Amino acid sequence: MDAIALDRVRPRRAAPRWRDDPQALARALLAPAILYIGLLVGFPFLLALYYSVSDATVGARVFHFVGLENFRSAIENPTFWQALRNSIVFTVVSQALVVVLGKAAAMALYRPFRGRALVRFLILLPWVAPISLGAIGWLWIFDPVYSILDWVARALHLIGPDAWPIWLGQPHLAMASVILVNVWRLAPLATVIILAGMSAIPQDIHDAAAIDGAGFWRHLIRINLPLLMPVMLVALLFGVVFTFTDMIVIFVLTRGGPYDTTQVLASLAFFTGVQGGDLAGGAAIALFLFPVLAAVAIGALTLARRAEVV
Amino acid sequence: MTDPKLQPAIPVQPSEPPSERAVSRRRFIRTTGALAAAAAAGPWIAPRRARAAAKTLKILQWNHFVPAYDKWFDGTYVKEWGRKHDTEVIVDHVGIAALNSRAAAEVSAQKGHDLFMFLSPPPAYEAQVIDHREVYEEVGRHHGKPIELALRSTYNPKTKKYFAFSDSYVPDPVNYRTDLWDDVGMLPATWDDIRVGGRKIKEKHKIPVGIGLSSELDTAMATRALLYAFGGSVQDDHGNVTLDSRQTIDAVKFMRALYQEAMTPEVLAWDASSNNRAMIAGKISLALNAISITREAENKHLAIARQIALAKAAQGPARRIGLEHVMDCYVIWKFAENQDGAKRFLADYIGDFRAGFVASEFYNFPCFPATVPDLKKEIANDARAQPHDKYAVLGDVLGWATNVGYPGYANAAVDEIFNTWVVNTMFAKAATGALPPEEAVREADVQAKRIFAKWRERGFV
Amino acid sequence: MIAPGQAPPGAAERPRIVPRAEASAPAPRRGDARADADPAAKIEARALSKGFAEVSAVAAVSLAVRNGEFLVLLGPSGSGKSTLLRMIAGLETPSSGDVLIDGAVVTDLAPRSRNVAMVFQSYALYPHLTVFENIAFPLRARGVRGRALERRVLDASAAFGLEPLLRRKPRQLSGGERQRVALVRAIVREPTVLLLDEPLSNLDAQLRATAREELREFQRRVGTTAIYVTHDQVEAMALGDRIAVLDRGALRQVGSPHEIYEDPADTFVATFIGSPPMNLVRTAGALLGVRPEHLLPRTHFAAAEPITALPVRVGRVEYLGADRLAYGTLDDPWPHDPVVVRWPSTIAAALRAGERQQLFARDTDLKRFDPGTGRRAQ
Repeated sequence: MDAIALDRVRPRRAAPRWRDDPQALARALLAPAILYIGLLVGFPFLLALYYSVSDATVGARVFHFVGLENFRSAIENPTFWQALRNSIVFTVVSQALVVVLGKAAAMALYRPFRGRALVRFLILLPWVAPISLGAIGWLWIFDPVYSILDWVARALHLIGPDAWPIWLGQPHLAMASVILVNVWRLAPLATVIILAGMSAIPQDIHDAAAIDGAGFWRHLIRINLPLLMPVMLVALLFGVVFTFTDMIVIFVLTRGGPYDTTQVLASLAFFTGVQGGDLAGGAAIALFLFPVLAAVAIGALTLARRAEVV
Repeated sequence: MTDPKLQPAIPVQPSEPPSERAVSRRRFIRTTGALAAAAAAGPWIAPRRARAAAKTLKILQWNHFVPAYDKWFDGTYVKEWGRKHDTEVIVDHVGIAALNSRAAAEVSAQKGHDLFMFLSPPPAYEAQVIDHREVYEEVGRHHGKPIELALRSTYNPKTKKYFAFSDSYVPDPVNYRTDLWDDVGMLPATWDDIRVGGRKIKEKHKIPVGIGLSSELDTAMATRALLYAFGGSVQDDHGNVTLDSRQTIDAVKFMRALYQEAMTPEVLAWDASSNNRAMIAGKISLALNAISITREAENKHLAIARQIALAKAAQGPARRIGLEHVMDCYVIWKFAENQDGAKRFLADYIGDFRAGFVASEFYNFPCFPATVPDLKKEIANDARAQPHDKYAVLGDVLGWATNVGYPGYANAAVDEIFNTWVVNTMFAKAATGALPPEEAVREADVQAKRIFAKWRERGFV
Repeated sequence: MIAPGQAPPGAAERPRIVPRAEASAPAPRRGDARADADPAAKIEARALSKGFAEVSAVAAVSLAVRNGEFLVLLGPSGSGKSTLLRMIAGLETPSSGDVLIDGAVVTDLAPRSRNVAMVFQSYALYPHLTVFENIAFPLRARGVRGRALERRVLDASAAFGLEPLLRRKPRQLSGGERQRVALVRAIVREPTVLLLDEPLSNLDAQLRATAREELREFQRRVGTTAIYVTHDQVEAMALGDRIAVLDRGALRQVGSPHEIYEDPADTFVATFIGSPPMNLVRTAGALLGVRPEHLLPRTHFAAAEPITALPVRVGRVEYLGADRLAYGTLDDPWPHDPVVVRWPSTIAAALRAGERQQLFARDTDLKRFDPGTGRRAQ
């Protein structure tokens, strides 16, 4: 009898208990993210680890453990070292430019002006457009026969009728070209991230600096940049990861040429592993990216935390 | 080759909507016992699948350089074949650059197409495919022997297995501008002619020779043609690396001279379609390519079409030799669901190859010459070509065309060396002076040995 | 970047903030809102206007602030007081009119050329800099370097008890400490005028009274002219030498707290100041204003005093400890307008809901306003 009465008093059972349990709820809400990371990051990474110590080929189903053989083969390969150097140059130079240009663009877009929404939209386009399409557009801009850059330079008499730069055919120019395209592609993301960071700084701080007598450069170097540092490090981290692991720009523009002078680890891994069929060798080359990226990520996140504001 | 290589790796699209046609399910497929079982099951499955074909055959191949070929293949040929064999044939196409990734994906999933066509020998996939010997044998019974080039591209002498079946190949002749070469009174018959004539034309007309020195397919073919013509090779007949040789160094030195005297740095920036564009734009005097340049000029009714002539592969100090430009290599996966249908299709397709040869506008040459007995007559009188016998020079292509991997067989190591552009890089480094010829050759030789060792260890070579 | 050399010898001996022994005598007061060119003015606004997209935020405000004076800009939100302050600082550009500092027109000068200092509602401390660097920032911007810099920062910090905090970051400070840092950062440069934009509104009520007192003391010690923006009349009354009342961009009255309270220039000031506000009663030809605490029983007036009877029908009584508030309506012969009565607890007389109370007010405590314009009518 009492049990029945108690039952009646108890709250409705509609809501399961876990909804009121913050721990359980947290786990439930995190689950998709963890699943995502596990399936799309963790699994391929483990697979790459597995491949790299096996004799996997594109056509094999049964692998044998070969220890560090693939890594040994990679470091014996002079092209590997060249690709590593190129990767570093490609990443460092393009990211330095991306952060500087991203910051400059963010500053230009920060203050309201007529048509700002349109300009903000346009500046994002390179990031939104598929990389391969954008890169193919650049392929035509750099085309050795039809280069519009050369055409313009010739029309302006900047270069003679018979001498012209072969953008993708001369080692330094080719590297500059792929860096330029990578900057073009990644600067919008940095701009947007930095813009968001700038919007998060209270206007009072800027007003205070203005009244305290800071001019443009003092304001930029002493106030703006230090306050934006965490967010710029995030932009940089994204940029480094995207650049270091990307091969589409290089694959479309130079395929590593001329003679491997723009070959990066990601493209070499692709040529070796997928085109060349040596999946294990490709995985080993790709895994050299991992410690670098891990170090960059840890370093950037530590710095960001240290610079964290309030 | 041209534009197809630029196509991004888009997902395949079925070229054919689900079949609407009512098919007589009484028309039983002949051949094997498996099919007899299928026939026996026919009455039971019939009520549910009254309008569908009893079988499906899924084919994946590239977007053909000659669109008319795909139109014929997808729209006419496979439909007729499907009707005859009570099979719904689905043809998917991808860009050439996506072929290898696509194949890797199918193997990884152990699922995909019944027939998969590569454009170069796929030795790395040997363990994943059936032995195509029986297809060769079946075709051979009706259409005679295949050409040596086909066997060299699809056979692994170590395992004695045919890892693919080659229906056709594409010649890779010399393309040259008759007006310019006439003007200097020469013909590009030998590599020395190309160097001397090329230099004269460059000096007189400021139009260079256009042989690529970049990381792309046309360069890979052209530099191998030069290498072989000078007596050098990546491997010997038994799969030993022989790249570091006097002959290779001579070939590399020759390329350096050719580059410095008759070319410009733009060849370092080329992709596979650059020589097409440059030739059509009138910016180069000579290129090594398939007949895609002249066909494109003809299709677009460009005046320059009549000034571009074809020549046999150039004669070198050792021999006159050129490459196949691409090699059609069909494979039937071990995991293919309709292996019998795939084998039947290949056998039937070779029987009808003459139609394919014509539909491809003479782009695809037969690996079973008996299927196009009147080939020489056909190509000697092309309606659109100016002059009409422009393509006649390809009549004896088998006398000078060879496979990647010459004088040995195409194997997995040769394929990786090809796809990681080792030979291209060797020539480019020496030509530009980035390395002395001897060192460039030594470096490439080390690379080649490293790659061979890897594959030998895995039992592929 | 500009890198001025070593500070000139003797720079360290420059006059620094010397806390003054006593507050300067309050400047002469005028109830007039209009202040034409005033030779004694430290800061002057001349017909300053600012319009944001067709809305006039500040409309032709003229105002003079005397040397050493603590002027409060008081008004409800949206009255334009902050905009006016920001125009004086140089953070906003006026649509028309001029700002004068020490008699010179500075309207077109950047904030850093005006030698003004400002304390923000949020304090706007630089979160990534230590207290020392926060205070040093305006000095560095002026080219002060080396020992001179250190000395001035330390002196100013010491004067306000900030020395133990110099190595801390703003996030490690309490609200009151942050306020002090903001103030020291503002005055360390010895500004011509100190501008304060609701600097107390981030503090809780307990702390606010103390902070208010500290602030007033602070200003007296450094003797800097100050303009203080607030919407809180208690703050305004407590802090201001003079109060300038703003409403919808227009200046309603400038005067001492006493003048503002006792002699409101119009009905806006009359009802904005005071809690509860002044009662307004409609009479023939005028609005009659009377403060709630001026409605008293007959016994509170001398026999000869001229007073007026204002009977009130009490509706509701609130007991607040120190005060009682009665809400009701005037009774015949007056129009039945709502009125509030406030009696301190020292008045023992009964005040009961529903009763008619015969109350009186001194005639001098009855203010007459023009019913049309709301301005005072004599």
